[in-house]
Amino acid sequence: MSLMENLLMAVGSLQAHKLRSLLTMLGIIIGVGAVIIVVAIGQGGEAMLKSQIAGSGNTIELFYQPSNEEIAANPNIYNQAPFSQEDIRLVETIPGVKQVVATSSAFSTVRFREKTSDSSAIGINQAYLDVNDIEIAKGRGFAASDFISGRRVTMISSFMQEELFEGKSPIGEIIRIGAQPVEIIGVLKKPTGLLAFGSVEAYLPYNTWKTIFAKNEITQITLQAESADQIKRIGQTAAKKVNLLHGTEDSYQVINMEEIAQGLGQITKIMTLIIGSIAGISLFVGGIGVMNIMLVSVTERTREIGIRMALGATRKQVLTQFLIESMTLTLIGGIVGIVIGWGTSALISFFAGWPSLISWQVVAGGVLFSMIIGIVFGLLPANKAAKLNPIESLRYE
Amino acid sequence: MIIMENIIKSYKIAKEDLHVLSHINLTIQTGEFAAIMGPSGSGKSTLMNLIGCLDTPTSGNYYFAGENVASYKDEDLARIRNSSIGFVFQHFQLLPRLSALKNVELPMIYAGISKSERRDRSEEALRKVGLADRMDHLPNALSGGQKQRVAIARAIVNEPKLLLADEPTGALDSKTSETIMEQFTKLNDEGATIILVTHEAEIASYAKRTITVRDGRIVSESGGIT
Ligand SMILES: Nc1ncnc2c1ncn2[C@@H]1O[C@H](COP(=O)(O)OP(=O)(O)OP(=O)(O)O)[C@@H](O)[C@H]1O
Ligand SMILES: [Mg+2]
Repeated sequence: MSLMENLLMAVGSLQAHKLRSLLTMLGIIIGVGAVIIVVAIGQGGEAMLKSQIAGSGNTIELFYQPSNEEIAANPNIYNQAPFSQEDIRLVETIPGVKQVVATSSAFSTVRFREKTSDSSAIGINQAYLDVNDIEIAKGRGFAASDFISGRRVTMISSFMQEELFEGKSPIGEIIRIGAQPVEIIGVLKKPTGLLAFGSVEAYLPYNTWKTIFAKNEITQITLQAESADQIKRIGQTAAKKVNLLHGTEDSYQVINMEEIAQGLGQITKIMTLIIGSIAGISLFVGGIGVMNIMLVSVTERTREIGIRMALGATRKQVLTQFLIESMTLTLIGGIVGIVIGWGTSALISFFAGWPSLISWQVVAGGVLFSMIIGIVFGLLPANKAAKLNPIESLRYE
Repeated sequence: MIIMENIIKSYKIAKEDLHVLSHINLTIQTGEFAAIMGPSGSGKSTLMNLIGCLDTPTSGNYYFAGENVASYKDEDLARIRNSSIGFVFQHFQLLPRLSALKNVELPMIYAGISKSERRDRSEEALRKVGLADRMDHLPNALSGGQKQRVAIARAIVNEPKLLLADEPTGALDSKTSETIMEQFTKLNDEGATIILVTHEAEIASYAKRTITVRDGRIVSESGGIT
């Protein structure tokens, strides 16, 4: 007797009690669905975090972590910008560095007519625009000439537009940063997603920023590598060179991605463990439900089993029939669970802006696992059916 | 066709052996049409179950088509039932969720016959019992006589060596019983070996040989082929 034949027979038997079959599957559907959702969101989140840490464009950030002695010598150290133009020139020469993103930030009051807003004014170089994909909602972005000449132009965040212009178009208006007039040429798109925090910001070409604030200092340096496998080496070389230049021991550092990956792996492991046990319990309970219904079904169909045996079904064939039936039940439940899990995680992604990731391994695992549940929990009922005595079964009322 | 030597069937009840069948010696030739008669509880059904390889004797030899099946295992008995024996029961024993056609296909499923051949042979068997126009009916939509004819079609579809019927007319009125018995007579005329159990003399009269069982023993025989 072929597998296909058995499957068709199983589907027929399950169709005879549609509601019952559906209710029995519910435990499996919920269990598998929950696992899929959690895994999809977990993996999506992990991928997102990793890409944010590693920098989507093969970037690595150089940061300044002063030692205790440096802090003791200069308690005000945190309020001073840690980098200078010299540092940029230094790291630019490291082989494998594609470009160096430099930003300088200053807090400043921004004024438009009688309205004011506390904002950060961020001076950026041209590389910043290449590395960060900045989306402009209105107006235009900076041109190369703006960077060179230090024109008095700015792009503002959508939050600043809300505060100062209340929905009116700010393009072409003059605002005052500190006391200096600057023309607005663009408004940035509102950031979307769960992790996007909006702040009131005005972006300026670095040379503009430099003249407005009369400072020539860099707050943040990010290196972009030519390829991903160079990131680590470039980061370490840059930190070493900058430390040497500043005469510091180890105050200039880059993020150690291996450590972070390890930490992430640890978190993921714990999450998987917790969720795995919850899913395990729900699937176990679902499996018990399947076993229960299959036991009822065997009892109800005692006569059918007797008839089949009288007509020549072997005990093995009866066992197989019921095993395949319970497996079909859980398999359908599993597939429905996967589809529902998939849909739900897509919905969550859509509304919460959190990416979800469904790999074929997860789908295959879900299918396989639900089949295994059917076989494991179908074993007892199927064995009961196979052990029936044909003569007594034929007499069963 | 079948030879039974000194067959004993006993059940242990309250630690005592209850002999349901004792020292049965019986030979049935190919092509015979035999009726087993006897009062209720005499052991007719028990004997039929042994003949039909649904059960094994406590002791004795049973040769079915040359094989001594008395000590066969379940698997082998199932194979013999499937290939060589057709059953017709008092209560039809059709699967209620399957159409007449699908019911008739059942024994062929376990024989591993292909789908298309199963269909052809089932249709032919149903035509033979006069149910060509009822193939897609569920058992519920059939009369008692029609159900029993479906059961007969199912019993003959694997072309068994032996056809067994335990009170095949027990649930039918006398008019319908007649058509069923005519069906058996026709099959016997075509060469089928048939053994049936009944306690109605009128039904037994269709058979060419009558075996009477009382208290688990064969007490008389008539009309056997010698
Ligand atoms: N599994 C069993 N355990 C114990 N006793 C049994 C069992 N099966 C049958 N018997 C006994 O064997 C005897 C013969 O039963 P059987 O069913 O063969 O009778 P029968 O001749 O077919 O009767 P009827 O005409 O009522 O169908 C009965 O006394 C019955 O109680
Ligand atoms: Mg009986």
